[in-house]
Amino acid sequence: MMMMKRTILFVFLLCAAFTLVKAQEVDSSKVYKKKVLESTEVDLLYSLYNQAGVHSPVNGGIGTEQLVDGTPTIVVSMPLSDNDVLTIDAGISAYTSASSSNINPFMSVASTLKSTNLFNTTGASRGVTPVVTPSGTTTTTTPSKPYGSPWIASTGASHADVNKAVHADFSHSSDSRNFIWGTNVAYSKEFDYISYGFGGNLTGLFNEKNTEIGLKGSAYLDTWKPIYPTELREYMDYGSNFQSSGYFKGVTIMNQSGNTSTAYLPSAFKPWDSKGRNSYTASLFVSQILSQTLQAAVFFDIVSQQGMLSTPYQRVYFADKPNYYIGYSAFIPYYATPDNKAVYQLADDIERLPKSRIKFPIGVRLNYYINETFVLRSYYRYYVDNWGIRAHTVNFDLPVKLSQSFTFTPSYRFYKQSQTDYFAPYETHLSTEQFYTSDYDLSKFTSNQYSFALNYTDIFTNFKVGSMGLKNVNLKYSHYTRSDGLDANIFSFGVKFVGDK
Amino acid sequence: MRKKILALFFASVMIGSCVSVKEYKKIYLNDADMKLSANQNERFENNFQVYREAASGANSGKTGGGCGCN
Repeated sequence: MMMMKRTILFVFLLCAAFTLVKAQEVDSSKVYKKKVLESTEVDLLYSLYNQAGVHSPVNGGIGTEQLVDGTPTIVVSMPLSDNDVLTIDAGISAYTSASSSNINPFMSVASTLKSTNLFNTTGASRGVTPVVTPSGTTTTTTPSKPYGSPWIASTGASHADVNKAVHADFSHSSDSRNFIWGTNVAYSKEFDYISYGFGGNLTGLFNEKNTEIGLKGSAYLDTWKPIYPTELREYMDYGSNFQSSGYFKGVTIMNQSGNTSTAYLPSAFKPWDSKGRNSYTASLFVSQILSQTLQAAVFFDIVSQQGMLSTPYQRVYFADKPNYYIGYSAFIPYYATPDNKAVYQLADDIERLPKSRIKFPIGVRLNYYINETFVLRSYYRYYVDNWGIRAHTVNFDLPVKLSQSFTFTPSYRFYKQSQTDYFAPYETHLSTEQFYTSDYDLSKFTSNQYSFALNYTDIFTNFKVGSMGLKNVNLKYSHYTRSDGLDANIFSFGVKFVGDK
Repeated sequence: MRKKILALFFASVMIGSCVSVKEYKKIYLNDADMKLSANQNERFENNFQVYREAASGANSGKTGGGCGCN
C-alpha cells in the first residue's frame, strides 16, 4: 500500500510540475481569456426524505425508524474576477425522528390518550384505564403511569431538530486554465453536534485537457454535546440511588416476569470521557478522455476518523443481564414485536465503538455518449475499513434526451456491505465485550435504489426573474429499499438561475 | 490483487494519455450528462446514503462532518 501511495504521489507531482511549466508558458502570452464563470449562478434546491424501518438503534436494534427530513438549500456561485470563483452553499435540514424521540421514550397516558386507540377512555373518569393487549386480555391501571414503546414515537424534545450548515469554497484558475487551486471552510450545527471543516485542493490538466489529476485534503473538527438515554442519564446524575430520585422517584420498574423490582442497575454505563470527533480526508482523482465519446475517472480517498465515533443515545441490551421495564407488564411477551404498545425496556449500556477508524474507498466512473439520444453513466466503488466492513456500490444512469430542452434519466443503484466486527442484534451482545453496537447501519445488508429524474434546460434563459434568467429545472424521485426492512423515499427539486453577463 | 488492479488502471490512464482529443472534437464529451462529477441533484442522496450505509467517499461527496445520527 505504501508503495502504491508513493507511486500515485510521484505521478501526481510529476504531472503537476509539468502542468505548472506549461501554464507559465501560456501565461506569458497575451491571449483572449474567457471567464471561468461568466456570471453569478444561483441554485435553489429542496429535498424531502422519509424512511420507515424496524431496527432503531436508539432502541437497541428494534422499533420504529420513522424519519422525515426536509432540506432547503441555496448555492450561490459568484465570479470574483476572470480567474476566481466564490461559492457559498447554505442549507437547513429539519427533521422529525421517531428513533431519536425515544431517547426519552416515557410518556404519561394523559399526554397520549387521544393519539392512540390503545386505551379505552371509558374508564378514565374513574381514574382507571383499561389496556387491551394483543391477546385480547384487558388490564387496568391508573392513567398517570409512565410507559413507552420502541414501536411508537415519543413526544419528547428529541423527536425533532434542525441542522444548519454553510459551506464556502474559493477557487482560482491559472490563465491557461490548466491549473486550479481552491480552499474551503464549512460549518454545521444541530442541538447536540457542531462541526467545523476546512480544506484545500489542487487540480492539474494536461495533454490538451485530456487528462486531469486532482488532490484534495479536508479536515472536520466536530464536537458532541452528548445526550444519553433517560434511564442512564438519571443513573449518571443520582448514582445507585437513582430509583428514589429525579425522574424515577415513584415510578415502578418491572422485571421480566412483570413483577415490581428495584434490582435494575446499569453499572456498565459510564459517561463519555471526551466529546470530540475529528475526520481527516485525503483524496486523489484522475480523469482521462479515452475517445470522443468515452471518458473515465478514478477517485481514491483515505479517511481517518478519531474520537467519539459512537452515538451516545443508542442503547445496547446484553443477553447476559436481566431485563427491566417501565410501563404495562401485559406487553412484555410482545416486547420485540410491533404489538408492543406500552412497555419499554431499560438500557444496559449505550453502544461502544473504537475511537479510531480508517476508511479506504476507491471509485471508478465511466461515461459513454452512445448517441444523440442516450448517454450511459456508470460508477463502481469498493470500500474497506478497519472495522471489518467491506462494501460494493454499483450505479447506472441512462439520460435520455427527449428534446433539446428535456432529459429523462432512469437510474439504478446496488449496494452491498458486510457487517462490522462490533455489530450484534438486539439482546445478543455480552457484557464482557469491549465494543458493541446494535445499529443496523453497520450490519450486513444489501440495498437497491431506483430513481427517475426529469431535467429541463433553457440555454437562452428566456424566463427572467429580475436580472436572473432560468437556466435549469430538475426533479428527481428515488426509492430505496434495504434488505433489513428499511424503506426510504427521497424527492428532490432544483432550479438554477444565471445572472446577465 | 487490488494492487494489480490499481497498477493496471494507472498504467492504462498513462497509456490513454497518449490519446488526445482536440478541443473542437469534444462536443460529446462536453455534454452536461457526460461530466465525471456527481450531479447536483445527487447531493441529497449521497447525504442519506452516508448515514444509512457504512461505506462512503470516492464520489466527490461528503466524507466527514455532521453526526448522521438519525
